[in-house]
Amino acid sequence: MQKPALEIEHLSLNLAHQQILADFNLCLPQGEKITLIGRSGCGKSTLLRCILGFIVPDAGTIKIFGRHLTGQSSWELRARMAYVAQEPELNSGTVQANLAEVFAFRNNRHLSKNLTQVPQLLERLLLPHNILQKETAALSGGEKQRIAIMVALLLEREILLLDEVTSALDQRAKDAVIGILRRLEHISILAIGHEQDWIKFADHVVDMSEPQGETTCTSST
Amino acid sequence: MHIIDIDLLHLASGYLLLLLPLGILLWLRVPILNQTLLAMVRMTVQLAFVGFYLQFIFDLNNHWLTAAWVIVMILVADFSIIRGCQLRMRRVVGPLFLALAIGTAIPLLYFVAFLLRGENALHAQYIIPLSGLILGNCLRADIIGLRTLYTDLKKYEKNFESTLAQGASLQETLRPFIRDACEAALTPTIAATATIGLVALPGVMTGVILGGGDPMVAIKYQIAIMIAIFTGSAITVVMAIYLTVRRNFSPGGVLNRDTFATTKVGNSTPR
Repeated sequence: MQKPALEIEHLSLNLAHQQILADFNLCLPQGEKITLIGRSGCGKSTLLRCILGFIVPDAGTIKIFGRHLTGQSSWELRARMAYVAQEPELNSGTVQANLAEVFAFRNNRHLSKNLTQVPQLLERLLLPHNILQKETAALSGGEKQRIAIMVALLLEREILLLDEVTSALDQRAKDAVIGILRRLEHISILAIGHEQDWIKFADHVVDMSEPQGETTCTSST
Repeated sequence: MHIIDIDLLHLASGYLLLLLPLGILLWLRVPILNQTLLAMVRMTVQLAFVGFYLQFIFDLNNHWLTAAWVIVMILVADFSIIRGCQLRMRRVVGPLFLALAIGTAIPLLYFVAFLLRGENALHAQYIIPLSGLILGNCLRADIIGLRTLYTDLKKYEKNFESTLAQGASLQETLRPFIRDACEAALTPTIAATATIGLVALPGVMTGVILGGGDPMVAIKYQIAIMIAIFTGSAITVVMAIYLTVRRNFSPGGVLNRDTFATTKVGNSTPR
């Protein structure tokens, strides 16, 4: 039986004396897509930061491919995930330089051959080829989102964590992005998105405003 | 040529000169009158104390006492940096002390073993002023370097996390932050080195000349001290950054919130 890509059990978190997560449970089987919805401030983005090991919950466990997320294991586990923020932070310099930087990291060097897919991906994401020479400071919010999505795809991670990544896109670009993500059959995706497109995109929708009961991680195939 | 001593009564009358700037401050209603007066009083008391104490140490010329005084100077610098950077004492006091001690010891060794040489080189008259000069500059560089590093890490937290999320190691993620901090810390020293003698006669050189030394001797001291200052500053800044970073990041590579003395944020550090 395949281990779930992501398994969250009884997660609780308080930040600045405010309860953000209370006994939260979630199971993301391998290859499945889950969309998180819920009112603003219910902890959706915070949950993604917990999964990346940037915030330690007060209680509960996070397992990624069966392995407990801890300070030590987070390095290895992060290398199996890609994260795209709603407002991606790109370093100064050109888009090309930013791409080169990501693939210069020791963990990613072996993937640098994937950079040959950039022209094709730019087209699929409805971005012009000359965007590579553009300074990141001159990019629009929508362009930044698509560049960050492109990086996440080039990194070939097994789990994608997406935080409202089409919020700055027009419908055509949104369709293009969701179309690409839908075709990633073997990639597990945990996405935050309120629009109908994201609700239709998901195998399951989890409303984080509602109390979450126990989830049994029955694996898909 | 002997140095002309200043009569105490004449020195006291020198305070009358202060009436001029204080009058200007009052006339312009610049709200720093109290600070100015306090600074003048502090300067007088501190220098009087140091004068008496140094006289005592120079007369005794005991190596242990000299070393103890240098350690006290390092400790004072250590606490000043921590206060200046608003960092939490227990996280940085040890690493910073080590950085300052090594950053001062190496250029001091260059002075004692290669330049001054001989038995007199270890005299408190040389060791204490030279240590003070090097330490004072290390202190300034460390405050700028550490403050730049930790302020940027807090300010650009999202960039930092985004880089980690792309699979970068802690060292890879910190590299641009460390580069900027080192640049900010050492740029003033480099600028001061490049313009030395053009804008004003530097302190050491002035001191040697006032003490009756030849300008050529004074210049040699000044060149050596500039090299020592830059070397000491560079060593302490780099060491302070790397040693404090080791203490302020969680095993998961996240900056501990309690790094900062004033931050009151709850949980946020991975195990």
